[in-house]
Amino acid sequence: MSGEALKPVPTPYLLFEARREEQFITGSEAVREAVRRANVDMAIAYPITPQSESMHLVGDLYAEGYLRDYFRGENEFAVMSQVAGAAMAGVRVFTATCGPGTLRAFENFPLWAGTRLPVVMAFMTRGVNAPLTIQPDTIEMGMLLDTGILMLHAENAQDLYDMLLGAFSVAERTTVHLPLGVFVDGFFVTHTRQKVRVVAEDVKLEPYDPAASPVPTVDMETPPVRYMRDPFVMKSNYVSYAAHASWQQEILAAAERARPYLREVVGPFVEQENPDAPIQVVASGTAVAQAREAARMAREEGLEVGLVKIKVLRPAPREEIRRALARAEKIVIPEFNRTGWLAREVASMIPANDRIVAGPRVYGGMTMPPEVILDALRGTRLAGV
Amino acid sequence: MSLDITRINPAFADVMPQEYKDLVADGPFGRHLGVRDLGTFQELLEEHPLCAGCNLALAFRALVASLPNPEDSVLVGSTGCNSIAFPQLALHNVHSLFGNQNAVASGLKRALSLRFPGRVKDVVVVAGDGATADIGLDMTLHSWFRGEKITTVMLDNEVYANTGGQESGMTGRGEVRNMAPTGKKFEKIRLPDLAVNAGCAYVAVAHTGNLPRLGKAFRRAVLLAREVGPTYLQVYTPCPTNLKLKPADSVGMAKDRGKQDYRFREHLTPEAERWLADREDGAGAGDEEKNAP
Amino acid sequence: MEHYRVLPGPEGYLPPAAALRGVPLPLPGEALIEGRPVARDEAVRHIAAKLAGATVPRFFPGPQLLWRDTPYARERGRLVREIAREAGAGVIPMPDYRPKYPMIDPAVEINPNHPNLTIWHNKIDVGVFIGVHCHQANLALRIIRGGTACYTVALCAHDGHEDAHVSLRDADNAVLEQLRDAVRAATRGRA
Repeated sequence: MSGEALKPVPTPYLLFEARREEQFITGSEAVREAVRRANVDMAIAYPITPQSESMHLVGDLYAEGYLRDYFRGENEFAVMSQVAGAAMAGVRVFTATCGPGTLRAFENFPLWAGTRLPVVMAFMTRGVNAPLTIQPDTIEMGMLLDTGILMLHAENAQDLYDMLLGAFSVAERTTVHLPLGVFVDGFFVTHTRQKVRVVAEDVKLEPYDPAASPVPTVDMETPPVRYMRDPFVMKSNYVSYAAHASWQQEILAAAERARPYLREVVGPFVEQENPDAPIQVVASGTAVAQAREAARMAREEGLEVGLVKIKVLRPAPREEIRRALARAEKIVIPEFNRTGWLAREVASMIPANDRIVAGPRVYGGMTMPPEVILDALRGTRLAGV
Repeated sequence: MSLDITRINPAFADVMPQEYKDLVADGPFGRHLGVRDLGTFQELLEEHPLCAGCNLALAFRALVASLPNPEDSVLVGSTGCNSIAFPQLALHNVHSLFGNQNAVASGLKRALSLRFPGRVKDVVVVAGDGATADIGLDMTLHSWFRGEKITTVMLDNEVYANTGGQESGMTGRGEVRNMAPTGKKFEKIRLPDLAVNAGCAYVAVAHTGNLPRLGKAFRRAVLLAREVGPTYLQVYTPCPTNLKLKPADSVGMAKDRGKQDYRFREHLTPEAERWLADREDGAGAGDEEKNAP
Repeated sequence: MEHYRVLPGPEGYLPPAAALRGVPLPLPGEALIEGRPVARDEAVRHIAAKLAGATVPRFFPGPQLLWRDTPYARERGRLVREIAREAGAGVIPMPDYRPKYPMIDPAVEINPNHPNLTIWHNKIDVGVFIGVHCHQANLALRIIRGGTACYTVALCAHDGHEDAHVSLRDADNAVLEQLRDAVRAATRGRA
């Protein structure tokens, strides 16, 4: 079976109607399964733990005929630049990185957003130096919040699979046309086996259409013939200062426009259990799984706790968070990082944000046992803050 | 068909500004022009803000005039004086960032090959010495290691000109520049040698003192990149502003260096030699200009 | 969400992007008038009325329309010229997107990086964009609203523009024909 034999179908069919089968696979294998169906033209790889396996498997897909080009670049900044060139020329291109690799590539993220490149990529988050750890940590996500890229956070391999497949139709909309990062905690998801329901029909996403790009594709086939992507916009007068600012506004606007399309593919940006509980625990990524268990344990003790799972970080889920936490008296926000970026995000979205307990936090690769969250819910102890 | 975007919609022919009508009527698209035709056709590079006497601008015009298929050429530039000229160029071109021009060009070329299999889509990198040999050295070399079918041109003014004249890796040893107040401590980088070692199909060193020869070398570089493998052309383009030369004297500086350490030379792999020898349009013919200073 | 009105400017030093103030894109079959979703027919009549009442109306065809010599492009261009003629509007092209150097000739062209120069020079009070890539159109529309009093109309082949005062979406040649007829009707009563 190769990509040629798959039938292109609209994204809603692929995501919601196509027959699925259950596989017991790792997060890395879930990336492979998503890319298998994603009608990706090119993928470019560079090793860094724990995303390497995902890109090995994408390479295997290339060898099997599911991608038309694949190669290993020389470092992450080079890879993201190669991705930029490919996307500018009008193909669907995929890559992944994490941690130090994200930082190495970083200048390209605001570039991708600013030049409206609809790149879908995966981040298998891990700690950044110094000192070095290959273990899971979401610190890089806080650093990416203002780059202009769209950001989804997967709790598990099922989320990862579905978010990746849904991402292309959002990123590639003419009115959006922005990079979209699907984030997942390294090792916790990438290297553990989970039940994942994957599409079992011989179908794939429809191909990318360069004619839908809101800026000219770089191919000498799209007008105007005199076209620099992108020209300097910085003459020393009011007129051109407005041009650069207007451009930046357009990137923000494009992210706003993604909301209805994101809702179509991932559903509500925020999912809530037990919305009436006075204590709400708010989390994203694997922390949701730990928080869900802690909430269950809390309820057994007679403590009423609700769970808020955030799936979309950018565009910011302001309304959804405000509604979900409107009646909360105490808001606990466990995170796998030192910085507490998620707590800062939530604090910026709600009134009376002194209701927030910005923790517990573990970092550098530590696991977060549900007991640690339970301590915070009870108010007896707050780890890592 | 790429020539589509070089035609004006007849419904608006009467309101198009003259410069665009000239571009279509007298431009080089679909024609086989060269350096010797400069002055007889509408160049792709419009008015630009580079300095009077800028050799980079002169080289740029000669290169663009020598593109074998301008209507199917995409250029990739980088931060530097070259990027001041690029917005005025009537071709699709990409501002990469700085140093990653060969990486961007690699992705671009591969994507164009996927989208237009069997069709000519030449991707040419034009960047300065800082971008090519310093901040971009690893990405320049790796595009050659991978055998990417792109042309790399370095416009070498031996300095970071656009930012006010700082020492670059291509500055000569002992030269005093900003950030080298007591003279550069190490030798000029021998990038052409690195290019040969990296397996480039064609490597040439030229200067703006002989434009027809420069144009011919560039055309070879583009055709060989299309058919054989990565090519590299290094062009000495002295900067009158940073060297404090009178604009009219700047080409003379190129000619002088062309008799000393910037002599014209070419290197071809056996495969490149064979490919050129097989062509009938004279691109492979022996050339007395090759031996001129 | 506050109800932001997309009104003629000059709005100020750096006015917001309408999308960031909650203005949605129109759905298929709809259009936007000053940030409000309306039926397309209403918007077409509104555009016609604005053109009919304008002192210095201008059409701004962009690269998607200017740099093509195909039957579709010629027909679309012909329709645009026809609408402009009916409206008594001039045509000023946007041939490309780079900031013009050394200086734009605002009498003969418009550019998305500094569209206000052309608007001011010609004292344009109603401007209609068509055939401009969506990104560049949005850049221009915001700068115009910020710095000029020009009323903007965007005839978009895709999903529309929140920053225009009137935005049509899916504006194919059939929609242009509808607009031409509406302009004809609106200008009939004019002296």
